[in-house]
Amino acid sequence: MKLDMSILHTGLGASKEACGLEAVGLEAAMDSFPLPPVKDIDSFEREVIEYVKPNHGTTTLGFIFQGGVIIAVDSRASQGSYISSQTVKKVIEINPYLLGTMAGGAADCQYWERNLGRQCRLYELANGKRITVRGASKLLANTMFSYRGMGLSMGTMVAGWDEAGPGLYYVDSDGQRTKGKVFSVGSGSLYAYGVLDEGYNWDLSVDEAIELGQRSIYHATFRDAASGGTVSVYHVTEAGWTKVRGADVGELHFQYYPVPEEHPCNSVDPLAI
Amino acid sequence: MSIFEYNGSAIVAMAGKECVAIASDLRFGVQLATLATDHKKVYKIHDQLFIGLAGLGTDSETLSQRFTFKHNLYKLREERDIKPSAFAQLVSATLYERRFGPYFCQPVIAGLEPDGTPYLCGMDSIGAQEPAKDFMVAGTATDSLLGICESLWRPDLGPEELFETVSQALLSGQDRDCLAGWGAVVYVITKDKVIARTLRGRMD
Repeated sequence: MKLDMSILHTGLGASKEACGLEAVGLEAAMDSFPLPPVKDIDSFEREVIEYVKPNHGTTTLGFIFQGGVIIAVDSRASQGSYISSQTVKKVIEINPYLLGTMAGGAADCQYWERNLGRQCRLYELANGKRITVRGASKLLANTMFSYRGMGLSMGTMVAGWDEAGPGLYYVDSDGQRTKGKVFSVGSGSLYAYGVLDEGYNWDLSVDEAIELGQRSIYHATFRDAASGGTVSVYHVTEAGWTKVRGADVGELHFQYYPVPEEHPCNSVDPLAI
Repeated sequence: MSIFEYNGSAIVAMAGKECVAIASDLRFGVQLATLATDHKKVYKIHDQLFIGLAGLGTDSETLSQRFTFKHNLYKLREERDIKPSAFAQLVSATLYERRFGPYFCQPVIAGLEPDGTPYLCGMDSIGAQEPAKDFMVAGTATDSLLGICESLWRPDLGPEELFETVSQALLSGQDRDCLAGWGAVVYVITKDKVIARTLRGRMD
């Protein structure tokens, strides 16, 4: 019996997966991205990294609890100190039961997570069943590893639900792949961890967990200058994911602190001359 | 990040009809971390003269204390408050004294001359004066602030309209800057009084 090993062939110049794109002449792009024809590839790559300097200004988090997986993200994109957007979608919907978060290079995250969705769909067609979260995260991690050192920047959490229950993996562009119950990624992650770790409990109710995710992101957007905009919270269950919150952080502050002057960051009356 | 972006600030000043307004954000931060939201960058010299100091926080505080000191001595000797145009000259000279090891600050001076005419002046960190008839901006959000001021400013605004215009300009400008924001304070200076107000803005 010949085992189908095609799923193991990924990355630069590896296999020739039949995926219908040959008809439109795009098969070359699938297997290997062309390398720039320069004399000294290493110093060129080092320079290029500076040009496509990705923004790590972000706060994303994810955790597993008794009711499934919660993913919460902010929506700010910054270029240096300029805010280039307050409405970035940092949760990538890979398929109806798998989510990926975005931190690092936006283009890298969008492209490779969409590519992961393609690979997951091919797996379903080849094997007659859905891919596990474990398998999906491995595919992404292997792809990242094959491009290691080339300047990709991606720090993502792959979250989903399969027969083994809820799954959460941290995958990054260094090739790291770590299974866990609680993660936070980005410049605001340390602030989010503070609130998240304090409020976390396996036995949280669904509402409490959603509120914890939202509150952690809110606190990170307050302290971290590179995070802000809106908080998006997703809940993943056996039936797939749903987006449950999309609040504007500017308004959340006044909900959590109805008397803004009493916020601990105010000790001096700004109107006192 | 440059030394001028270490703390982050946004200052805007505008001239109206026999009134001026000057406003700043309230954030105190160290690079990306926000540490306080009650730190204004506008300081009163006297009832008809305010100075905003954008840039490095420590230099801004130190300079404001030195200018208050100099004005106190001026008042003792001259037995009157200093005129805005003379104060601008004082600020410029103080900054140029440190030409080869400057204060990392950009001042914005807003006041009313004794005859009631508005006075606006901006400066770079070594004292080059840039007088203006309409508006002056400084800080880390200058590009955004200049754009919105250019669109919103009209000549001969009254005190209430000027307050609205300055507030809108500052809030819009600082909402496009990571390092400035977390609240704002606005001073509107007229011949008989100074109206001070805080603004409710985005805290992210």
